[in-house]
Amino acid sequence: MTNRTRTPRTRYAQSLICLLFVWAVMGSNSALAELTIRITEGADAAIPVAVVPFSESEGIPSSDKISSIVQDDLAMSGEFRTLAPEKMLSLPSKRSEVYFRDWRLLGQRYVLVGALNRNGDRVEARYELFDVNREERIMGATAGASANNMRTLAHHISDKVYEAITGVPGAFSTKLAYVTRDSANGEPRYRLQVSDVDGKRAGIRLESKEPILSPAWSPDGRKLAYVSFETGRPVVFIHELASGNRTRIAEYRGLNSAPAWSDDGRSLLLTLSKDGNAEIYRIDIQSKNLKRLTNHWSIDTEAVWDHTGNGFFFTSDRSGGPQIYHKSSEDAEPRRITFGSRYNARARPDNDGKFVYYVHQRDRAFHIAKTDLESGEETVLTRSESDESPSVSPNGRMLIYATKQSGNSVLTVVSADGGDAYSLPASQGDVRDPAWSPILR
Amino acid sequence: MTGQERDVTPTGQQPWRSPVALSLLLHGLIVVVALTGWSWSTPKDDPEPRSISARLITQQEPEPSPVVEDIDEPDRDEERRKEEEEQQRREEAERQAAEEEQVREEARRIEQAQEQEREEQEAAAARERKAQQAREEEAARQKAEAEAKERERQRAKEEEQRQEEARRKAEEERRKQEEAEQREREEQARREAEQKRKEAERRLKEQQLEALADEADREREAKARRQQEAAAAKAREVQMMSESEKYQALIRERLSQAWYPPSSATEEMTARVQITLLPTGELQSAKLVSSSGNTAFDNSALGAVKSLNRYPIPDSRDTFERYFRQFTIEFNPQRLQ
Amino acid sequence: MKISVHQKAFAVVLSLGLIAGCSSTGETMEEDEYGSDVEAVDQDGGSTVYGSDGDGGVSSSDLTEDERRDRAERAEQEAMRDITTFYFDFDTAEIKPEAREVLVAHARYLENDPNQQVRLEGHGDERGSKEYNLALGERRANAVERFLIVNGASRGQMETVSYGEEKPAVTGSDESAWAQNRRVELVFE
Repeated sequence: MTNRTRTPRTRYAQSLICLLFVWAVMGSNSALAELTIRITEGADAAIPVAVVPFSESEGIPSSDKISSIVQDDLAMSGEFRTLAPEKMLSLPSKRSEVYFRDWRLLGQRYVLVGALNRNGDRVEARYELFDVNREERIMGATAGASANNMRTLAHHISDKVYEAITGVPGAFSTKLAYVTRDSANGEPRYRLQVSDVDGKRAGIRLESKEPILSPAWSPDGRKLAYVSFETGRPVVFIHELASGNRTRIAEYRGLNSAPAWSDDGRSLLLTLSKDGNAEIYRIDIQSKNLKRLTNHWSIDTEAVWDHTGNGFFFTSDRSGGPQIYHKSSEDAEPRRITFGSRYNARARPDNDGKFVYYVHQRDRAFHIAKTDLESGEETVLTRSESDESPSVSPNGRMLIYATKQSGNSVLTVVSADGGDAYSLPASQGDVRDPAWSPILR
Repeated sequence: MTGQERDVTPTGQQPWRSPVALSLLLHGLIVVVALTGWSWSTPKDDPEPRSISARLITQQEPEPSPVVEDIDEPDRDEERRKEEEEQQRREEAERQAAEEEQVREEARRIEQAQEQEREEQEAAAARERKAQQAREEEAARQKAEAEAKERERQRAKEEEQRQEEARRKAEEERRKQEEAEQREREEQARREAEQKRKEAERRLKEQQLEALADEADREREAKARRQQEAAAAKAREVQMMSESEKYQALIRERLSQAWYPPSSATEEMTARVQITLLPTGELQSAKLVSSSGNTAFDNSALGAVKSLNRYPIPDSRDTFERYFRQFTIEFNPQRLQ
Repeated sequence: MKISVHQKAFAVVLSLGLIAGCSSTGETMEEDEYGSDVEAVDQDGGSTVYGSDGDGGVSSSDLTEDERRDRAERAEQEAMRDITTFYFDFDTAEIKPEAREVLVAHARYLENDPNQQVRLEGHGDERGSKEYNLALGERRANAVERFLIVNGASRGQMETVSYGEEKPAVTGSDESAWAQNRRVELVFE
């Protein structure tokens, strides 16, 4: 009916509209590009975790509370901060009883709950770990052990919880070997002992009036090598823990000291001075064949294999004072590792070849320090001032060493990154020379 | 001591009994013994070991029995809850679907109503046209009737004219003239109607063109306005960006304090979480959009994001909508120095 | 009894010396056989002369210069040998100058009494690493042993052992205690 004629005006108007539309769309696209915020560092603090006392059925032994053992294990690692049960708003033992909002209010990141059930002469633990903020269960399992082995069960749970949160297997089911010194009837008394990682369930393996030094675990965890002065002179023994059988492996004139096991358990690195001064030797345990590995007028001692099993670290004062050196194979040239101070001794590498830990003097105090083997960077790990004898846990996350407290030597655990140190409760006398066992099967 | 005279003594004793000879003999023996028992090296004694002063202690320690572990227990409570959630979700979905249906229904109804309106309008126009037609037809019919009547009258009058032929011829002529005039008037009326219609059409076209011209004006004005607004918007954006940067820094600080990267974390690990906030700053949702490959690391990132009760956001609603309604957080630990 | 080279040589020389001086003594005695109021001269030094007035033995024991010096020296040496512990500075086995004289006295004493045995016990202070301290204690004991040998003692008389930081003389964690624990002890048996 009506006749629409396209005037030039109309065309102009229409193209203008198109252009404006395109411009608007382009403009709004840049506004829609999403913001990204980058987080490059986290909290430099221990993760808050709440270990709720497990509920118990009838017949659960009243000593050895599993939740307190787990709580102490996690705190000892230095990576967790635990919550005292008095501060908990509720004591759940299963998921339906967990009110995440309560735990958020308490600032906790993880909550562990569980229930213990007696079954004949066994105790079964059902335990669950929750992430408070994600409100999700991370893991849950049941584990059992005999009723007189509650501590073993507790350490097992600690291992699993630790691994679920950090991704690294826990080392709480391992053992410690160490030497205590006190006096009996006016005479000094030395004892070689083996205990749980928290110092509990300690058993004496050797008692002597003369010093015992440098216990070292065999890779299968069944034997200890150590230095004993029971004959009046330092002699290296190998002691089988289950049977108590002992062999004298090195009894040469002069020093017989600083034993360290090879990965296959068939030979030991030793320090002997029979040829004039302290040098490193390797001895085959079966044949007693000796091979000399260092040849220098200086003191060379404290040899330990590195993680490859081909090279070793040792202490030498060939440059004036004791320093850590490394030989990449038995015949290679030694390479100096520590430079930061005039006294660095007793190297203990971790199992991954990332760090080596040692005694380090700084401004007249002796600390434990570590060197990053890739970058060469040195970090001091302890604040106490008379530290010695470091030993690394088999998962490389914890360090134990001896330090002085009120005149006595005590064993102290610190996280491999440094931080708060956790001293193992000790009875009378001195506790020294700790050695951390491998993971025990 | 005096000189050493070794000549024979005047005492007259036998030479082998003299003291000199005796001492010589003794010393000779010593020399012999010394020489024969000579060894040029000095053997060194190994020191005797003192008696052993240690006591071995073997304990019959019970071997800690191995801990028996069962595999991860399925969390029944969790499952039940999940089922409930599923159900709820399904119901929600259904409700939403129903809602959407309703909305669609509404839209359909509106469409229909509009359709109806359009139809009614057309019907009205059609009716108008019909009415017009009818009116015209009426007019035509009436005209026809009138004509018929006229013809009838003419016939009657013809009969009378047969009586009055003379008068009727003059009257006929007059009547013919009248008819002619009438026809002319009708023609005029029709022409006038035509003209009116044409006028109306022209006016309509004019109106349309005027409308187009107005539109063009309006568009030009609108464009100018838009350009002004764009300039103002750019200025506002610059201000928003600096404001957003301030709040980004705040969020970064809060999250850093709340993040516990696991000890196994390395500098290569990166996890990205996309979060949506409510205008109050509370977290509406958080989703892992890019995994680091390490579950413990991913979980630590999600845990950190969900641990904040309220995110610091700007007061300006515009800035919030623009930057903070939905954004991504990237977790990637870097060593200091 | 195992006799060292030195002792055997010494014995031979001594005997030769004795041979040399024997006859003349005998001769002198022979010729002076007639009785005399004069008593024999005391060859050890310091003589008792009995005068004719018979005053009743006023013994003026006037020691000669040499003899007096010798006695004083020996007394001094004995006093010095009361010191049987020698101290060291941190992380070193260097014998201190004040120890040298005393060690020389010990060396001479050992030299004079070849049967005398001594044990050298090396120690370190409690700081640093136990095993390194064990080796350091041995180095200190060996240093003392070498010094004694150079000054006359023989290796067969000596035994060395190191206890590292395991047997401190003084308990305590201050400079004074540490200084007293960095030592080598001579234990005569």
